[in-house]
Amino acid sequence: MSYQLPLMIFAIPFLTAICMPVVGGKNRHWCRPMALVAVFVMCAAAIVNLWSVLEHGETRYAFGGWSISTSLPAPPIGIEWVNDPLASIMLVALSFLASACLIYGGPVSPQSLGSRVVLYYTLILILISGLSGIVLAGDIFNVFVFLEVAALSAYALVGVAGGASLVAAFRYLILGTLGASFYLLGVIFFYAATGTLNMADLAQQFTDRPELMTSKVIIAGSTFMFIGLGIKMALFPLHGWLPGAYTRAPEAISPILAALMTKVALYAWVRIMFWVLGARAEIGQVHLLALLGALGALAAVVGALLALGQQDVKRMFAYGGISHIGLILIGVSQGNQTGFAGGMFYMINDAAMQAGAFFIAGAAIYQHGARTVEEWGRLRGGSPWMIGALIILAMSMIGIPPTGGFFGKWHIMLGAIEAGNYLAVGAVVVATLLTMAYFQRLFVSIFRDRQAGSIATRVETHLSLRISVGLTSAAIIGLGLCSDPTVKFFRDMAASVGL
Amino acid sequence: MFEHIEAALHRPNYIAFVVLFLWGFFIMVAHSNLVKKLIGMYLVQTSVILLLVTISAKTEATVPIYQGSDAVQSATHQIDPANYANPLPHVLTLTAIVVQVATLGVSLALVTAIYREYGSLDENEILKRIE
Repeated sequence: MSYQLPLMIFAIPFLTAICMPVVGGKNRHWCRPMALVAVFVMCAAAIVNLWSVLEHGETRYAFGGWSISTSLPAPPIGIEWVNDPLASIMLVALSFLASACLIYGGPVSPQSLGSRVVLYYTLILILISGLSGIVLAGDIFNVFVFLEVAALSAYALVGVAGGASLVAAFRYLILGTLGASFYLLGVIFFYAATGTLNMADLAQQFTDRPELMTSKVIIAGSTFMFIGLGIKMALFPLHGWLPGAYTRAPEAISPILAALMTKVALYAWVRIMFWVLGARAEIGQVHLLALLGALGALAAVVGALLALGQQDVKRMFAYGGISHIGLILIGVSQGNQTGFAGGMFYMINDAAMQAGAFFIAGAAIYQHGARTVEEWGRLRGGSPWMIGALIILAMSMIGIPPTGGFFGKWHIMLGAIEAGNYLAVGAVVVATLLTMAYFQRLFVSIFRDRQAGSIATRVETHLSLRISVGLTSAAIIGLGLCSDPTVKFFRDMAASVGL
Repeated sequence: MFEHIEAALHRPNYIAFVVLFLWGFFIMVAHSNLVKKLIGMYLVQTSVILLLVTISAKTEATVPIYQGSDAVQSATHQIDPANYANPLPHVLTLTAIVVQVATLGVSLALVTAIYREYGSLDENEILKRIE
């Protein structure tokens, strides 16, 4: 039974998505309950799966019974899914945040959808199943397919509201497809050099034949893969699609994209970097991890700097997300267990933070019509839930204990100090200060004194919005309080990949 | 130097791949017409598939199904893998084409919606209208 769990986690949203047009075509009001039940069951299955992986160790699922003997020389021939600790904890985070995003999505969904609401929920569920497929895939081509499954539904969802969001969706589509083509090119190079697509088999070949790692094919292939996934994860110079897509996407959609899309692409790269290429990989003469660390530091600082300059709050949070991708990369690229654990911990935490940030930004637009920093003054006194959640969120993004953001950054910095990489430490500090500065702008706008009369009339926050911001805030605090076992969990994982 | 050029000329498919990929990339970046951008995107995707087909091409090989004497004697005789094409790259190609077609469908739907909304396909003009 537990052997089938990863498959079920994927299949629950996927099959519900397929049933959705059949059932929801006649009874439109069934769509939302169906989608909610699907993600709740998925979340429960993911938690059981995490428990079973922690209890019994990782499992591998061979599709179609194509025998996968872990004992080489018989190479795996079919598609394989790997359900290891990293994948299982990622699935829990993914399904939890997907639930929060769907709870949130009800009231703020675009009102103009009409009968298309059926397809809207279908697309969200396909997006979720595509993302869980990327997390589970143990085969680099399978990752490509699921990247595209998730991305195609994301393009459609960004553009669902019409108007300016269509143009943002188009730009996202062009760049996202370019990223996917680069990734596919990398996959082809790997396949040409090794004759396999299975991650475990590739890693085995790279250890058996060290000359492969210096061959031009693999160097070019991994570079292309990195550029492809770099576009998908919106790494700094390749981030062009992200701010527009997140800002213009409907309020119900930007949280799920911000929380999951970039993080899962980053996860895919971490999987390839540590589980396939190996932590000691070099591109040409350059140590791969050093290169990543430098790119991460650049992204962390520039992302936060650009966030500081924004007027639109959603756009500000979008640039904040770019900066966090940089922080995670700084963490995982230090080449020691502390940094890796910090980076991965921050990744899980950042998924919750980004979801929370876009929940609040979306609720401000939905309830107060407040888009820009100036307009956020309307939130004052009007919505205690939103402000409370915003304070917790700000604490976590800046890095004040006891939130998860603090412990993530703490371990990233400890890892950088351990590696003697003071540039990275500086980048984290600068990014933190800049994050503080842009939250300062928000709080000044909300709390500063003004003439009486400008205080907003109290708006009752919708129950769904309260539940969803409550869930993400609880997750942020909970991750902070449970940081010790979680970080230890990631440390063991780092030890298992030879850090 | 010359032997490199000569070696490249013996592999026209690779040259075609590079030309198509860069050409498509250029069209995607340089043209402001949305449909032209899509054509560029399609070229990039197709060129990658061309590379995939090229590396898996095999002369003197047939479909990977036991044929002729092999089908009868397979229990007793060794099968020569050189006689059969590798099916995996073809499956990959098919999957990549399906992904490409789906992407094209979504993108054309988006372009249609943009045209209905703004009455133009020129990116600069649309951006001006949004401002």
